Amino acid sequence: MSAIVATMRRNRLLPNYMVVLLLLAIIIVAGTLISDRFLTVRNFSFLFQQMVVLGLVSLGQTFTILIGGIDLSIGALAGAITVFVASFLDWRPDLIWVAVPVAMMLGAGIGAINGTLSVFLRVHPLIVTLGMSSVIFGLTLMYRKQPGGSVPIVFEDIAYNNFMGIPITAYALVAAFAIAGVWLQRTGTGRMLYFVGGDEEAARLNGVPVRRVKILAYALAGFCTSLAALFLVAKTGVGDPRIGLPLTLQSITPVIVGGTILAGGRGGVFGTFLGVLLVSILNNLLNFAGVSSYWQWVVQGLIIIIAVGIYRSDRRGG
Amino acid sequence: MTEVDNAAIRREGMSMAGMFEKYGLIVFLALLLIIAAVTSPAFLGPQNLVNVLTIAAPLGMVVIGQTFAILVRGLDLSVASLMATVAVLATAFKATDDSVIPLIFVAAIILSAMVGLLNGWLIAKRGVSPFLATLATMIILQGARFAYTGGAPISTLPPGMAWLASGRVFGIPVNLLALGILAVFAGVLLHRSRIGRQIYMVGTNPRAAFLNGTSPERITILCYVLSSVCAGIGGLFLLGYVGTVSNWVGQGYELDSIVAAVMGGVALSGGRGTIVGALLGVVVLVVISNLVLLLGFPIEMQEVIKGVIIIGAAAFYRQRLM
Repeated sequence: MSAIVATMRRNRLLPNYMVVLLLLAIIIVAGTLISDRFLTVRNFSFLFQQMVVLGLVSLGQTFTILIGGIDLSIGALAGAITVFVASFLDWRPDLIWVAVPVAMMLGAGIGAINGTLSVFLRVHPLIVTLGMSSVIFGLTLMYRKQPGGSVPIVFEDIAYNNFMGIPITAYALVAAFAIAGVWLQRTGTGRMLYFVGGDEEAARLNGVPVRRVKILAYALAGFCTSLAALFLVAKTGVGDPRIGLPLTLQSITPVIVGGTILAGGRGGVFGTFLGVLLVSILNNLLNFAGVSSYWQWVVQGLIIIIAVGIYRSDRRGG
Repeated sequence: MTEVDNAAIRREGMSMAGMFEKYGLIVFLALLLIIAAVTSPAFLGPQNLVNVLTIAAPLGMVVIGQTFAILVRGLDLSVASLMATVAVLATAFKATDDSVIPLIFVAAIILSAMVGLLNGWLIAKRGVSPFLATLATMIILQGARFAYTGGAPISTLPPGMAWLASGRVFGIPVNLLALGILAVFAGVLLHRSRIGRQIYMVGTNPRAAFLNGTSPERITILCYVLSSVCAGIGGLFLLGYVGTVSNWVGQGYELDSIVAAVMGGVALSGGRGTIVGALLGVVVLVVISNLVLLLGFPIEMQEVIKGVIIIGAAAFYRQRLM
C-alpha cells in the first residue's frame, strides 16, 4: 500500500493530502454501506457540532508543529478557560461581552508565555509546555476542584443553533480554517512560519525575526485553544478543569494525519482539516458499527502509525 | 577508540560544568531536606524517610528505563499506559494463590519487552519520531486494556502482591531492594559495559557510532526494550502498593519519569546523564511533593511546583551545558 502511494507520489499523481482524501472517500463509502443513517444531513450536522472543538485545537497545534515545536498545554488551558468563563458569567448574559474577549486574551497570553519561555530559556517546547500544563492545571484545581459555574442560555445557543439547517459552529470552524490557510499561504508573516520550521538558521540569516515568529505561533495556538474552550463551555454549560485534558494528545493526531511533519516546515491547515474530518468521521462510523469507544482508541493509535508510515516512505522514495 | 571515549567521559566528569551538574542537584536536595527538617521534625525520622522512598520506588524503576530511552535522543510516553496494562495482565490470571506470582512476572516482562520492541522498531527501523511512536503505543495499549476490562476496576490478585509493597527482607523494604538491584544492573550495563558505551555513543552522535561499527538501530531498540521492561516491573510493584487494578494505574508516571530524569541531569538531546543522577531526580521530586504537604499547601500546589521545577531544571542544565 505504502509502496504504491510512494510511487504515485513520486510521479506526482498524488499531492500531499490526496492520501487523506482517498481514505476519507473509502470511509464515507463504507459508512454509507454500513448504515443508511450515516450519510444524512442530520448525522453530518451532528458530526460538525462534535468536530468543532477538536478542529480548533488541532488548528492551533498546526501552528506550533509547523515551526518545529509542539504545545502540550492545550488541554489544561482549555479546561482553565472553561472554568474561568463559567465562574465569571454565572448565569449573567450581560457579562458575555467581557468574558469572551478576556478568555481569548487569556489563551493568546498563555500561549505567548509558552513561546517566550521556550525561546529565551532555550528549553525544548515539549518541556516548557508540559511544565506550563502542570502549572495551569494546578492553579485551576486550586480555584475549582469539581465542575461548576454556569453560562447563560444565550451563550449555550451558540453551540446548538443552526443557520440554514447547518450548525453555526460548522461555519465558524470552516471560517477559522479558511482564514488560517490564507494567512499561512498568502501573507509574508504566515509564510515565515514555514521558513522558521524548515530551516531556522537560514530564516535568521534572511532577516526573519525567528523569536517573534515562534512566540506568535504559540500565541495563535493558545488563541485557538481559547476558541475551542468557549465552544466547549457553551456546549456543556459548566466549567470543568479536567474536560480539556484528553484534547492535548487528540490535537496532535489530525495534524500528523494531515501531513504536517513533526520536524516542522511542511504541511498546512488544509491537511489538518482533512485529518480532523477523517478522525471524526471514523469515530462516528465506528459508533454506527457498534464498536466500543475503547477500540476507537486502538484505531486512533493505528492511524498515527499508518499516517506516519506513509509520509515516511514518501520521503524515502522521493 | 574505547580508551579515547573513556578518557573523554572521565574528563567531562571532572570539568567545572560536570561538577556543577553533579553537585548542584545534591545541594538543592540538601536545601530541601533542611527546609523540611525545620518545618517538621517528623520529616527526617527514619520512618517517614522510608515511607517516602517506598512510595517513590515504582517511579524509580520507571525512571531507570526512561533514562535509557532519553539517552538515545528519545523519550517513552508509553510507560504509564504499559504499567496499567501490565497490572491488568496480572489480574487476567484470576489467581488467588501466591505460586502464580513468578508466572505473572514472567508474563509481564515478556509483554513489556514486546511493547518495547514495537516502539524500538517503529523508531529505529521506520524512522517514526519517538514522540509519535510511543504516543501511538500508549493509545493502543489503553484501548486494548479498556476493551478487555470494560472500564471496571478489578481486584482479583494473589495476596502476595501486597508483599511487594509492604514486605521486608532483612529489614529492608522489598520494593527498595528491588529498585536497588535494578539500579545496580542498569548502572553496570550503562557505565561498565561495552553496550553502555555504545548507548552513549549513539546518543551523542549516531553517525560516528555507526562508523565505529556500532549499530545505532539495534542499540536504540535495546534502549526502548529496557525502558518498557523497567516500566512493566514498576507497574507490578505499583500494583502491589495500590492493591486494586483500575485502568489508570500509573497515570502521570510518563511525565513524572521524564521530569525526574531531566532534573537528574539526563539531557533530552541524548548522550548525557547517569542512573544515579536520574534516581536523585526521583528523590528530589518526591521530597518536594512531601514538602508541599508538610508546609500545609493545598495538594494541587504540587502540580504548580512540579511545572515550575521542570521548566527551571531544564533551563538550568541548558545554561550550564551550552
